[in-house]
Amino acid sequence: MNARRTAIFILLVALVGLFLSPFGWLVITALKSPEELAAVPVHWLPKNVRPGNFTEALTSIPFLGYARNSLMISGIYSVLVTLSSAWVGFGFARLTAPGKRVLFTVLLGTMMMPQIITLIPTYLIFAKAGMVDTYWPWVLWGVSGAAYLIFLFRQFFANLPQELEEAAVIDGCGYPRIFWRIFIPQSWPVLAASLVLSFTWSWGDFVGPALLLSTDRTTLAVAISTLYTNPQGLPINNLMAAGSILYILPVLVLFLFAQRGFVAGFSTSGLK
Amino acid sequence: MTAGTLATTAVRSSRACPAGSHQARKRRGVRRAGTFYLFIAPWLAGVVALTLFPLGYALWLSMTNSDGLSPNSRFIGLRNYQEIFSDDQTLQTLARTGLFTAVTVPATIVGGLVLALLVNRPVPGRALFRTLLYLPAVVPPVAASLTFKLIFDRDAGAANALLETIGVKPIAWLTDPYARYVLVMLVLWGCGNCMIISLAGLQDVPRELHEAVRVDGANSWQAFRHITIPMISPVLFFQVVTGVIAALQMFVPPVLLAPTVGATGDVKSIPQGNYLYMVHVYAQYFNSGRFGYASALLWVLFLIILAVTGLIFKAGARTVFYGTDPKEGKR
Repeated sequence: MNARRTAIFILLVALVGLFLSPFGWLVITALKSPEELAAVPVHWLPKNVRPGNFTEALTSIPFLGYARNSLMISGIYSVLVTLSSAWVGFGFARLTAPGKRVLFTVLLGTMMMPQIITLIPTYLIFAKAGMVDTYWPWVLWGVSGAAYLIFLFRQFFANLPQELEEAAVIDGCGYPRIFWRIFIPQSWPVLAASLVLSFTWSWGDFVGPALLLSTDRTTLAVAISTLYTNPQGLPINNLMAAGSILYILPVLVLFLFAQRGFVAGFSTSGLK
Repeated sequence: MTAGTLATTAVRSSRACPAGSHQARKRRGVRRAGTFYLFIAPWLAGVVALTLFPLGYALWLSMTNSDGLSPNSRFIGLRNYQEIFSDDQTLQTLARTGLFTAVTVPATIVGGLVLALLVNRPVPGRALFRTLLYLPAVVPPVAASLTFKLIFDRDAGAANALLETIGVKPIAWLTDPYARYVLVMLVLWGCGNCMIISLAGLQDVPRELHEAVRVDGANSWQAFRHITIPMISPVLFFQVVTGVIAALQMFVPPVLLAPTVGATGDVKSIPQGNYLYMVHVYAQYFNSGRFGYASALLWVLFLIILAVTGLIFKAGARTVFYGTDPKEGKR
């Protein structure tokens, strides 16, 4: 029995090594000079470590400007979509009305809505409405909530005890106030999970900004994948690697801090 | 569960309502309905304006010869749809995407399940193992694609350097016919996502059930096959549905694994093996400017996704086991 446990442990260590090795190569590439990148045979480790690649990655393109754009878009979107999804989720969890059952089915259906399929025609409409190269699309996407997060909030609110709002209803307190004063303060774990999830989605989104934003206003996701090129239009790999590391670092840090929220979010999505 | 929760909520709230006159109750009912719609209004407006309307717009475009620029596009009926079935390139991309889906969805689910079974064992440091195996799934697709491009670079990549140590000549991984394998490996790298979902399912399997069949003489494979698999079939089913929908519209990694930069500019440089359906749609829109035809392609994919999801649900109704109340299993 103990031998078996050891075998599993060793297997897991090997798997973790395999799964983390791409990060390793990314770091190694980010620390090499252009000459070393061209070396034959390939150097497994850089002979001259060049941390300067990171400063070059920050300065050879307006990295911080793009980071600010990404931060703006992800910040706007995640705050709006979290509040809106909580609001809608509260409606589905605590209120009744004719048509609710059908609408809830629609909600579950939109959870499975193919994203990119709707994105391109939405882009065409935004273009007609003059919203290309503005952040308005993210405001609209945020305000209308995300089906997945609405479902998350609904599950959470539906499991809170009925007594919570009964007293308030008898006192004549309206539902918007009940939502804001009683339910929101109870739900900080879900709020945090929702904020983290939606922030990482939009931080990682490529197609949205690639379609909707010009080179000046676009996000890091687009910038790091398109702008580190030499005059011949070929990618400068060491800078691209350094830029990528700087780009994924916030997401990884956020994940490690908010791990439980992530996992809670994903396991409730089991949709049983 | 949904229906059950709804029912109990309804019963409770009717009890909470103090008995008043019939009319007062009716008025309150109307106001309550109004409140419900007040709460779901943002979402409902979003569904109409940002999902249904764009889809309708694409449907209309698909019956025109629009190029996106000239104002005098004409209604041409179903001609775009007819063209799809005589367009070899479209049919090839469709078949390729089907194959890609048929390979990657089972592979990621099985991979995720194997990882979940391993990290569900009482090994030291398993919380850390879970975190680290899940980590690649958090990496944004852009960064994951760029990373794989560096690993599989023909001259400076780790893959060829590793192969060279056993005497294999350098392989041009990012071109045909190898590029497709790089894409599959990239997708598999993120199977931590499936692991987390399967793990949540595994943790809900009552331990006593397992012990009972083992006492009855079942070996561990039999216990896995006849207890674990049926018990976690709902989460596996969920992964099949979401996995198929995601795979059929795979777009960003094939574009960013292409040898040229300028991600959305030159779709043509994407190797044939990674030229998936959504890439083709994108190229028809923004490289060829064939908005009408591209919209028809979009709608065909939408209908395929609906049909496939429908089939999966139908198959799932027969095989997925929803025997226990999921609420009881939750901690």
